[in-house]
Amino acid sequence: MKKEKQAKSLLGRLQRTPQWKKEEFTEIEYEPTSVKELLTEMKDISELIIDLAYSALLFNSTEMAEEVKFLEVRMDKLNYDIRIMAMMAARTKEDAEQLAGILQIAQAAEKISNTAGDIIVLMKLKPKGVLPRILKNADEQLFRIQVSDQSRACSQEIGSLKIESETGMRIIAIRRKNCWIYSPQSHNTIQANDILIARGNDEEFITLRDFLLGKQEELE
Amino acid sequence: MKQETLESMVLDIKEKSELMVDLSYSSLLYNNTTIAKEVYDLEEHIDHLFERLHHDLFEEVKKENISVKTAQVLLKLAKAGEEIADAAREIADVQLRDVELHPILKLSIRESDEILTKIHVKKESMLCGKTLGELKLGTETGMIVIAMRHNRRWLYAPTKKTCIDADDILFAKGPEDGEAHLIKLAEGRTDKL
Repeated sequence: MKKEKQAKSLLGRLQRTPQWKKEEFTEIEYEPTSVKELLTEMKDISELIIDLAYSALLFNSTEMAEEVKFLEVRMDKLNYDIRIMAMMAARTKEDAEQLAGILQIAQAAEKISNTAGDIIVLMKLKPKGVLPRILKNADEQLFRIQVSDQSRACSQEIGSLKIESETGMRIIAIRRKNCWIYSPQSHNTIQANDILIARGNDEEFITLRDFLLGKQEELE
Repeated sequence: MKQETLESMVLDIKEKSELMVDLSYSSLLYNNTTIAKEVYDLEEHIDHLFERLHHDLFEEVKKENISVKTAQVLLKLAKAGEEIADAAREIADVQLRDVELHPILKLSIRESDEILTKIHVKKESMLCGKTLGELKLGTETGMIVIAMRHNRRWLYAPTKKTCIDADDILFAKGPEDGEAHLIKLAEGRTDKL
């Protein structure tokens, strides 16, 4: 039970850039978790990790790149765990067929996270200008903004501010002093001087920016 | 060929591949083979785009119009999109197989951070007769329409000019409270955006 909780809280947790190397070389130990939880976490990570990889490249952040590597390694472990869980759950041929579908999806999620790992390798090529130019024409772009202490958002929970449903902007990560919160959840708060990395279109960004800079009192 | 054209091809691959992932999960969530087949078609389309980009990049490097390094970056970015598209196809493949889906699958998709939803637009809804550009559902509710069934036809990644009519079916993604708002709008229970 305790382990399950730990796994769950990986996203939306205030953390320093993890020592992913250590994780990679620890011997993989099988931890019993339900197939459903494993698959949910894998899907969540596969969605976050791509945006995170592009953000790392765009804002030239080695810390975000480290997190991508960490999540990539975590995905390997989750994929390993889910295989074992699935094998133990199969009793009949029908079970096995259904579980094969689940494993295929887990595999696809892992493949997506490996792709994110390939994207951050581009940082070494220093693709100055190319990526910002490409992304500038996208419907949805990545933005970075610092929260002003004048904003009403300070010390409020993301859930109660309803940022995503009011503005359409999706917060990918928050940097607070030298720590990070990846994929913040509704219980996470926003603090003055936090730096937010968010995804959305131009217009949506302006609404969010004015609110976070304290120029707008409310998100209408 | 201008570098701009090559860059827009890379962006096209990136955006389509991300759409495909959402579509493939939606196909599982709603047992929808039409959407799953669309993912297959899109994957083929992306393969073609990628091959063309590959070819054009070599040509431009040969003509010394772009640097090797730029070509490398563009190719790697496109490759990433192509791989994501492959992964989406593998997800859609599970739906197209002749095996009943494991109940856990839907639960996992439903419980993840981003909600995928299917909404039927009723005739009393204020959405009827308006374009997506006018409605700005993304800004107003946080929900992005990724696909819809309109006039007995399927539309994928609808544009600002796409009009919503009564009896349309919208497939959208976004936050949980956005979903509730969009359902109310589509059922005509509220007119407030």
